[in-house]
Amino acid sequence: MHHAHIDKFAYQDSPVHRLDSRVKFIVVLVFTALVISLPRTSVSILACYAVGPFAILVLAGIPLRFVFKHILLVSPFVLILALSCPLYDKTPVSVAFGPFLWNTSVGWMRCFTILGKFTVTMLALIALISTTRFNDLLTGLQRLGLPRLLVIQLGFLYRYIFVLIDRAHRILRARAGRRLRRLKFRAELQIAASMLGSLFIRSIDAAEHINIAMQARGFDGNWRTLSKLQIRRCDLFFLLAAVVFMLGIYFFVKPILL
Amino acid sequence: MPKAIEIENFTYKYPDGTSALSDITLSIEAGARLVLIGPNGAGKSTLLLAMAGFVKGTGKVLVDGLEINRGNLKKIRSRLGCCLENPDDQLFMPTLFDDVAFGPLNMGLEAEQVKARVAEALQTVGLAELGDKAPHHLSAGQKRAAAIATIISMSPKIITLDEPDGSLDPRNRDNLVKLLKDLPQTLIIATCNMNFAAALADRAVLLDKGRIIAGGDAKEIMSDSKLMAEHGLEVPHKTE
Amino acid sequence: MHMANELLSVPVAAGSAAIAAAGLGFICRKVRQIITAEKLALMGILGAFVFAAQMVNFQLPAMPGTSGHMVGAVLLAIILGPHMGAIVISSVVIIQCLIFQDGGLLALGCNIINIALVPSYLGYFLYRTVTAGPFNSLRAYVGAVLACVIAMQGSAALVPVQAALSGVLAVPFTTFLITMLGVHLLVGLVEGLITVAVLGYLQQVRPDIVVNSLPGKVRLSKKAVLATLVIFTIVIGAGISLLASDKPDGLEWSYAERPDQPDFEGIISNDSPTIAAADKLQARYSLLPDYSLRSSVIGDTAENHVEASAGWTSFAGVVGSAATMVLIWLIARVLRKKERLQA
Repeated sequence: MHHAHIDKFAYQDSPVHRLDSRVKFIVVLVFTALVISLPRTSVSILACYAVGPFAILVLAGIPLRFVFKHILLVSPFVLILALSCPLYDKTPVSVAFGPFLWNTSVGWMRCFTILGKFTVTMLALIALISTTRFNDLLTGLQRLGLPRLLVIQLGFLYRYIFVLIDRAHRILRARAGRRLRRLKFRAELQIAASMLGSLFIRSIDAAEHINIAMQARGFDGNWRTLSKLQIRRCDLFFLLAAVVFMLGIYFFVKPILL
Repeated sequence: MPKAIEIENFTYKYPDGTSALSDITLSIEAGARLVLIGPNGAGKSTLLLAMAGFVKGTGKVLVDGLEINRGNLKKIRSRLGCCLENPDDQLFMPTLFDDVAFGPLNMGLEAEQVKARVAEALQTVGLAELGDKAPHHLSAGQKRAAAIATIISMSPKIITLDEPDGSLDPRNRDNLVKLLKDLPQTLIIATCNMNFAAALADRAVLLDKGRIIAGGDAKEIMSDSKLMAEHGLEVPHKTE
Repeated sequence: MHMANELLSVPVAAGSAAIAAAGLGFICRKVRQIITAEKLALMGILGAFVFAAQMVNFQLPAMPGTSGHMVGAVLLAIILGPHMGAIVISSVVIIQCLIFQDGGLLALGCNIINIALVPSYLGYFLYRTVTAGPFNSLRAYVGAVLACVIAMQGSAALVPVQAALSGVLAVPFTTFLITMLGVHLLVGLVEGLITVAVLGYLQQVRPDIVVNSLPGKVRLSKKAVLATLVIFTIVIGAGISLLASDKPDGLEWSYAERPDQPDFEGIISNDSPTIAAADKLQARYSLLPDYSLRSSVIGDTAENHVEASAGWTSFAGVVGSAATMVLIWLIARVLRKKERLQA
């Protein structure tokens, strides 16, 4: 089982991939905040906002199928809450949309706004992650003030997720091979606990080995890395384009639509 | 010229009291390519760790003429690079470049020097193009080569490798043999694959149950079928 | 349960982010003095362990087809101490947000508070309180289970509070709160049992790891599990019957108070005056103040005549955006083909 697919697109190359991670992160953060702060019942303006991240994703050559599959994968909680809106808010409202006219409720409009915002902000986040190597993102975040300890943590975590998930898969396969019938809850719990326990112990052993590897290469507690980030002209250009896009919608499109 | 490694009467017990290494006396010439052979659990890995100062027992361990003590560990480790068995433990940074640069940076080198060393090390192991890759995107053979690059970049005089042939297919193993044969450093390699050992080594030390059984010319020791069988090993196939 | 972007308003998100950042910054500074070089790798790996552990699932009782998994915050807090546990789980939450898009960028602050900070400290505190004094297997058992349950409840309760402060959902606060608490009571119980079982396993196999937090044996005996289940059934049953008699159903309530007031906002989201006040505050300070429904975008209320022009502009907005996207996609496709031909 290989999990490298989670971040494989971050290792492609495109003009978007080459942008500075700090600039991308800040743009996505501001974009998300802008989208979230939109009125609760505006669906159409979300479509305008969606153009931005969509353009980035297409420019970067990220397959849209991958993007939407991912969005679908993380949607259940939001989906449930969004679908609960029509149940609780039945204030009738009629919606005119071009040649069409629907009678519906405010709850449904809220539901669609929530789902719309979810999709648009997810598009932006996926655009950021699938065009930025995690290492560059971490370096950028550190420059933006994330504590160094946390940056080191995140680096290790990212590195070893893949190793430990593979290990968990092996353990799970071993269980599947041996368990032939459904067991009682307590037995299930005991088995799961011993699997988790052995995974835990292996993690601790791995940590000991890594510690030896670090010290063998002269690690003395001071974390040193070479950072390669620098803002270039194309980063400024991207920033400008993003600002124009967001302000443009904010000042010109939004007043028309609202 | 000092010996690469000199060990005198080294004994080490695990915390629970079982004996891991007993009364090891060993001397390795600089420039040698030595294999530590022996069955599983013979104490090969522990002996390698002892050479890098990770295992504290009784007796003397000298690395490049320097006796290991608490004060000079950093110096010792810039002279002796120690490559662990599992490359996943050896490659702990987010990218290959950072991993290979980790050692040189800790030695206090300047950024430009570090970059040059990384480029050189990656070139040596044949991964020059892959510096920006994350370790989990590398194949098993590439990971092994990368792990060795993390050591080479520190340009130590001595390199110890623990089962570097583990989980490699024959082609990758041949590449590894070529790579290791071209290294100028003193190599100390623990392995239980006799063909791999025979293809590589000029000296051999046979270890079993924490004791040195035999030491000397690699061919001589590994062609002694009685000795090898006694310790759960095999005679390598004749090659060339 | 991960908080999502869409359920938050910008002020609430920013406020939580500020609290989370301050908290994490404080912990990092505090911990820096006690963290030795060798703890660095350990903490990182244990974060990865939490990920992997969530894949180990097991059948839940009485609910065939559903399975539970461990979250791990309390376990880590018990073994590593609350500071290190909180940092590890925070980094897990950050990775979940960035790499796996669980919860959004804006909700990150809330998620760090809910999933990492609160359970770690609350769980640790409870476990230590219950197990204070000489070691006793029963107390260790009760302490771990209780720590998990209460920590989970605390973190579950925060989600509806944050959502209500933001005022995005139509679900009444109490309904949301009760649902979250109810679901997480069960989740917390399972977490508690599995935490005890894992602690017991570790104590048996590698007592050196848990020597500080669990000096003696703790067993997951049949009786203890049964007793716990019975107690929880009673608690849940009592809770449900109390609520059922005491409060009108959230659904009924939202019908009952729906007069044709001009000011819809009050009823749409929440009942309590605090939340209404928060709503107003939010309207005043949010980046883009909330427009009232009447002047709102797509539609209009039934009483008014639909303004045709409003409908058409929004139509144009959506269609225009869609057309732009298609255009961008086509251009990119053509360009890429050209590139491929050249190569």
